Amino acid sequence: MVISPVHYIAVPLLAAFTIPLFAKIHKELTRIIPGIVLIYLTYVSYVLMSKVMTTGPIVEIIAGWKAPWGINLVYNGFSGFIASLMSIMGLLIWIYSYKFKKVDDEPALKFYILFLMMVAGSIGITITGDVFNMFVFLEIVGITSYSLTAFYRGRDGAEAAFKYLLIGSFASVFLLLGILLLYTHVGTLNMAQIAERMHTIPTSVKLSIFVMFAVALGIEAEMFPLNGWAPDAYSQAPGPVGAAFSGIVVKAGVYALIRIIFTLFDIEGSLQFLIVMGLITMIIAEVSAIRQTNLKRMLAYSSIGQMGVVLIGFGIGTTEAIFAAIFLMFNHAIIKGLLFLSGSFLVYNDDKKQIASLSRFGKKLPVVSFLFALGAFAIVGFPPFAGFWSKLYLLLAAADKNLIFLIAIILMVSVVEVIYYLRVVGKLYFGKEESKIEPKKPAFNSLIVMLILGAIIILVGVYPDVITGFIHNAADTLSDKATYISNVLPSL
Amino acid sequence: MKKYLAIFLLLIVGFYLIQAFNLVPFGANRVGNIDDESTVGAYYLKNTVPKTSVANVVTAIVVNYRGFDTLGEVTVLFLATTGLGSILFRKRKHGEEEERVLKESSQLVKIGSRLLFPFIALLGIYVFIHGHLTPGGGFQGGAIIATGFLLMLVAYKNYKLGHGALTWIESLAGITFAGIGIWGLITGGTFLENNAFPGLGNVNDLISGGVIPIIYIAVGFKVAAELTGVLDILLSIKPNKN
Repeated sequence: MVISPVHYIAVPLLAAFTIPLFAKIHKELTRIIPGIVLIYLTYVSYVLMSKVMTTGPIVEIIAGWKAPWGINLVYNGFSGFIASLMSIMGLLIWIYSYKFKKVDDEPALKFYILFLMMVAGSIGITITGDVFNMFVFLEIVGITSYSLTAFYRGRDGAEAAFKYLLIGSFASVFLLLGILLLYTHVGTLNMAQIAERMHTIPTSVKLSIFVMFAVALGIEAEMFPLNGWAPDAYSQAPGPVGAAFSGIVVKAGVYALIRIIFTLFDIEGSLQFLIVMGLITMIIAEVSAIRQTNLKRMLAYSSIGQMGVVLIGFGIGTTEAIFAAIFLMFNHAIIKGLLFLSGSFLVYNDDKKQIASLSRFGKKLPVVSFLFALGAFAIVGFPPFAGFWSKLYLLLAAADKNLIFLIAIILMVSVVEVIYYLRVVGKLYFGKEESKIEPKKPAFNSLIVMLILGAIIILVGVYPDVITGFIHNAADTLSDKATYISNVLPSL
Repeated sequence: MKKYLAIFLLLIVGFYLIQAFNLVPFGANRVGNIDDESTVGAYYLKNTVPKTSVANVVTAIVVNYRGFDTLGEVTVLFLATTGLGSILFRKRKHGEEEERVLKESSQLVKIGSRLLFPFIALLGIYVFIHGHLTPGGGFQGGAIIATGFLLMLVAYKNYKLGHGALTWIESLAGITFAGIGIWGLITGGTFLENNAFPGLGNVNDLISGGVIPIIYIAVGFKVAAELTGVLDILLSIKPNKN
């Protein structure tokens, strides 16, 4: 059996259906099988990415029906890069969370099924070439995210999950309405064919469809003002899930939004729309972040702000800017992943997750605190860490297009970012009095994952060339719409 | 003030939505000329019967052309059950009996439900076995069977469902669906390809359409088991006493 993109979906699905039976043999298998599947997905990513880099995009058809009659998966430089990032992050978070949970009874083992399907669903959103198929995967991601948010079964968790459920259902309905309207006008669901027929739709209808798609996907991509669910969900969900939200789920939302804007629609001004929305998102989120006393909420707002910067990058629209934006997505996944993973150990025993309770943790938890500080420095963009390069490239791309005003705002917001991250780091090392809360010592597997992420951050920071080749390829594929269409529909 | 602003914004959004949907003529033929094949709808109408031997075009679309979506939707249901199970799980003390929120119902309801239940189940099975021939299919049949179980759960306060059996049905049906998909890959075709059997049979025969009826039967079992499981989870929570 040749490895092909559909393995990303088929194997996790088969595993998810099989796990309840394996659980009857031994409970521990519910934990182990998702890990094996994630290892396999990482291997699939490796094989497919090397194929894409040498021979070009892979288009796979499903059920033997050629596009546009059936569903197809498109694995090119951009979608492949994001999908590989997701599977690697999924694997790392799985290793980290192997013994993390506070509850350890039988349904807790369902955590791993839900987590596995959340990763698989996000990958599905990324690699699909069909709008309705994207909707289905969005549902999978949604359902798993709601249940994982409410996982600790406290009152706040239920409230956060319910809020997320309401907003998420709103997203589903809007996406479905948008797809419906689109289908009545073009008579197809295949993305490439829609892109080709987009010019036949009257402009007013096109705008309505665009708004519906943007609202639906903006909710998943944490775009302002649709991100009300995010801070609650991040702060109430278990630590690893928070990392997965920022590293995997939001990436899928951003990817879908970008794919819609760059490939499907040809509306003038949609790029400016991205810049404006990105700016508002960034400013409001970063200003809110500085006021937070809860560490996880602060990280959540920072995550929203970063997504704003990513949207700005895509909105500038030149290949260099797209390159910077994808680089930012990558950096955000690994750095925010590290921040969430180390942060959840820092506030593990504090029910309110207060920043104030971290005082002088640098002595009690030296390695975790150090890694958190490393992540904080990296995300605000200090050299020589990974975050520096993406921010530099973004500013350079903005300067190329003479967007001085934009540069000024991004830099000002970065100062805000520096303030609130350094406040936490300062608390960790130079807090006034020692915190009374006893920290939880990290387990060995969790520590390894955090060290790996820290190592990647430094490696990419010192030697960015290890990753830029992939990202350049991704940026080139995204901006080339004609090739996308001819890859999927060779006969046209 | 905020409320009025919200209503005002909603009205604007609603106005534009209605305008956009008004441009779609009601009842007009959106498929176009069947021989033209410029829309997927026309292609399906023209090619389904000769290429898949399935009399019900909708079934062919749901299970074969867009079978990948259906697999996803089945998974959504599966995940919803799993998620509910993990959120609403309550540790039972030793010897504590599961209790339902419902009260004991009258003798009339009990006897009536017992009388109706086999017929409801039979109808459900009929609907999903004939999914490729007549209107209906796995989702509909499964939902009908689940209503039968709902009736029993409502009528009998202590109606026991075999949880082990539900898990088995759910998993085996899911494995069948995903397994047929992977079988297509193993035999050198594509995922979910309809090539497991040498011939597709004659249109309108019960055994026709290759793997399509098998998948729909699996979907029927899965939907029935999952919806029943959801009902059972939701009905057997005791409200908090304190």
